[in-house]
Amino acid sequence: MSWQELLLELTLMPLLAFVIGLAMVLMMRRIAAQIQRRVGPPLLQPIYDIVKLYSKQTQISHGFIHELGIMMAVGGYIAAEALLPVPGMDGLADKGGLITLIYFLMVPTLGMALGVGQCANPNGSIGISRALTAMLAYDIPFVIVVFGVAFHYQTTNLAEIAAIQQAHGVSGWGMMEMPLLALAALFALQGMMGKQPFEVYIAPAEIATGPMVEMSGKFMGGLFVMQSFQYYTAGVLYTILFLGGGENWLTFLPKIFAVVAIPMTIAMLFPRFRTEDLVRLMWKWPVMAGLLGLAFVMN
Amino acid sequence: MKDIKKIEIIQRPPPPEPARRTNPLARVFDELVRFCQSRSMFMLHYCTGCGAIELPPAMTSRFDMERLGIQPMVTPRQADILLVTGYVSVKTLKRIILTYEQMPSPKYVIGICSCTVNGGMYWQSYATAKVLKDYIPVDVYIAGCMPRPEAVISGLRALMEDIRTGRGDAWKKYYQNYDFYLGNQQRLFGEKWQTPTDVIAEAHHYGMMTDQTLGEHTDLLEQNEVPLDALRTRLKARTE
Repeated sequence: MSWQELLLELTLMPLLAFVIGLAMVLMMRRIAAQIQRRVGPPLLQPIYDIVKLYSKQTQISHGFIHELGIMMAVGGYIAAEALLPVPGMDGLADKGGLITLIYFLMVPTLGMALGVGQCANPNGSIGISRALTAMLAYDIPFVIVVFGVAFHYQTTNLAEIAAIQQAHGVSGWGMMEMPLLALAALFALQGMMGKQPFEVYIAPAEIATGPMVEMSGKFMGGLFVMQSFQYYTAGVLYTILFLGGGENWLTFLPKIFAVVAIPMTIAMLFPRFRTEDLVRLMWKWPVMAGLLGLAFVMN
Repeated sequence: MKDIKKIEIIQRPPPPEPARRTNPLARVFDELVRFCQSRSMFMLHYCTGCGAIELPPAMTSRFDMERLGIQPMVTPRQADILLVTGYVSVKTLKRIILTYEQMPSPKYVIGICSCTVNGGMYWQSYATAKVLKDYIPVDVYIAGCMPRPEAVISGLRALMEDIRTGRGDAWKKYYQNYDFYLGNQQRLFGEKWQTPTDVIAEAHHYGMMTDQTLGEHTDLLEQNEVPLDALRTRLKARTE
């Protein structure tokens, strides 16, 4: 691949991710509205929100680290998109692989922690400490899942993992071969996307949306952009690991949208867990399922 | 009377001139921004008085404000609309002003219920601030005791139309006529009244100073201003 093609892919992949991510945000809000018997927001609502937030005329910045933190939060996901192969574009997938991707996925939360730390708002500090604890909780089953998948396919290259699954049809999908790991990953996904049973760190009525409490204007706009990247990344990663990636966009898009719709659909059924209950639950059931799945895989 | 010339005149730097628009697409861009601002409004989840009871029906399945892009937010930093729903006691008014000053501009205030228009049934109360627009600029009033969700939504639509056509700029008045608003606030709260937000510095920074911004009341504020320290963190329980 020439460097021009690579450059084109590296530009296109985050852009596509952003557009698809916006559609995912809209889908989430529509699902929530449907469950509550409402109509929900109009088609371009995510774009209105982001343009509005960036066009605020007074911006309240709390210093350099505050701005850097938001840059890290968005930049971490933009870097991660280059490692996620999509139909027709592999980007840096064969050079980075799964391990690098996991590192990149931790950068946004750490960036948020830096930024929120400088705001010096007690609600923000409480929120971010809860978010980091939650990350500790869901990363354990997630790492077990990633290790199991990498061991099963004997590679950490995401493009290869998808190609091996596509060669064997639906019965060769990771979900069919490693159902326990797929289940554990679904648990971790719920935590990773911060959906209902595991969303105590944003608790709007209690700690005023936790980490976002001091974010206004363009900072909040940055977080909205980050959220759309986050949904896209979670959907694509799960699809590549367990649903056979995508041969073309026609089969790929329904898969990633379905993956992202699952946490939202079940989110409305639950109240929240407290942080310590979240850690206890995450380190018990998904970890047990993951370890059992790992035992089957390594057998 | 020769000494009068010795009194120092406080020299303030002149306000910066607004930047000239050189982009030929600036007008189109402004239209787009205003349209997006009118279609996406986050309202602060801070409600006073009894009018707040009409907002949950307006937000939930019966009337569904999210169709218009209006959704509740919990912190003033992210909010666009401040809803003042009902009578405003003197103590509540302090919090409303603190909250209002923390919101990033453009920001809009909606006074719901008659109590915010003229005091309503609390007209004779000694502890109620009657006319809300004396203390902060108000964009839209929705009269009624209490207005039904239909009226609330029609008021919000009026505000949306104002924003889209560029008329919803009451927030600028707070910077331009700060002396007037501060004077009314001092009349209620006493001359030691101050808020953590430095409104004069903001007005200066964003080029919104007029000759109405400063006056006798802001001079009084500058005389009595004390630096606000962070609250002391105390880990041990008090023993006395």
